[in-house]
Amino acid sequence: MTSSTEKLNHISEDSIRRLVDAFYVKVRLDPELAPIFARAIPGDWQPHLTKMYAFWSSVMLTTGRYKGNPVVKHLVIPDIRLHLFERWLTLFDETCGELFDETMREQFRTKAVRIAESLKLALFYRPDRRWPLEPGE
Amino acid sequence: MTFVVTENCIKCKYMDCVEVCPVDCFYEGDNMLVINPDECIDCGVCEPECPAEAIFPDTQPGLESWLTLNAEYASVWPNIAIKRPEPADAKAFDGVAGKLRQLKLLPPATRLDVASDRH
Repeated sequence: MTSSTEKLNHISEDSIRRLVDAFYVKVRLDPELAPIFARAIPGDWQPHLTKMYAFWSSVMLTTGRYKGNPVVKHLVIPDIRLHLFERWLTLFDETCGELFDETMREQFRTKAVRIAESLKLALFYRPDRRWPLEPGE
Repeated sequence: MTFVVTENCIKCKYMDCVEVCPVDCFYEGDNMLVINPDECIDCGVCEPECPAEAIFPDTQPGLESWLTLNAEYASVWPNIAIKRPEPADAKAFDGVAGKLRQLKLLPPATRLDVASDRH
């Protein structure tokens, strides 16, 4: 028997589902992120969660289950700001730490940080501005 | 940041990368694939999938000219999202030096219709 408090140590579709579900509970309670997400996902959250299971399955298990264009999806979000990516990463890593052992947490953190950096560049980088921007810009 | 397809893809073109890419950011020339740096989200899933070990992060030094080539042809060649069989002689060209001279700048001959639809 595994106890309910034992940390997961194996990346699987099930562990990804648990991560995504727990993470978005936090997001929807977060004073900074909740309003942004509520505008982007005004109705049923399950389609978004299902899409995120597929995304992280593609990234962590190379299943190719997700096919989409996250850069474009983020470009159209009003009020998206650089510092919100840091908040997102903090909550994501916190959730990983609650569910996963340290090795697995680090694997998710490494990917998430790189993907976030790539999205930040796509959204905020301009050749005529210095990079990185200061938080709050 | 992005991943970049480099010389050893030329004439090998295994296309395993295409199946795992979550954002469909590969574009297909006649004998090579490239990554669109504006669409790649740097997830790195493709890198270990490439049998020819032709994909690298752009943070690796010395890849500037390949990054330019990837960006340039991603805007010209058609998108590829489904793997097809690699060229029959792919293995014979894996690791061969100086393949850049053999790069074909046209879209794949069998897909010219696709290319003309998009542009």
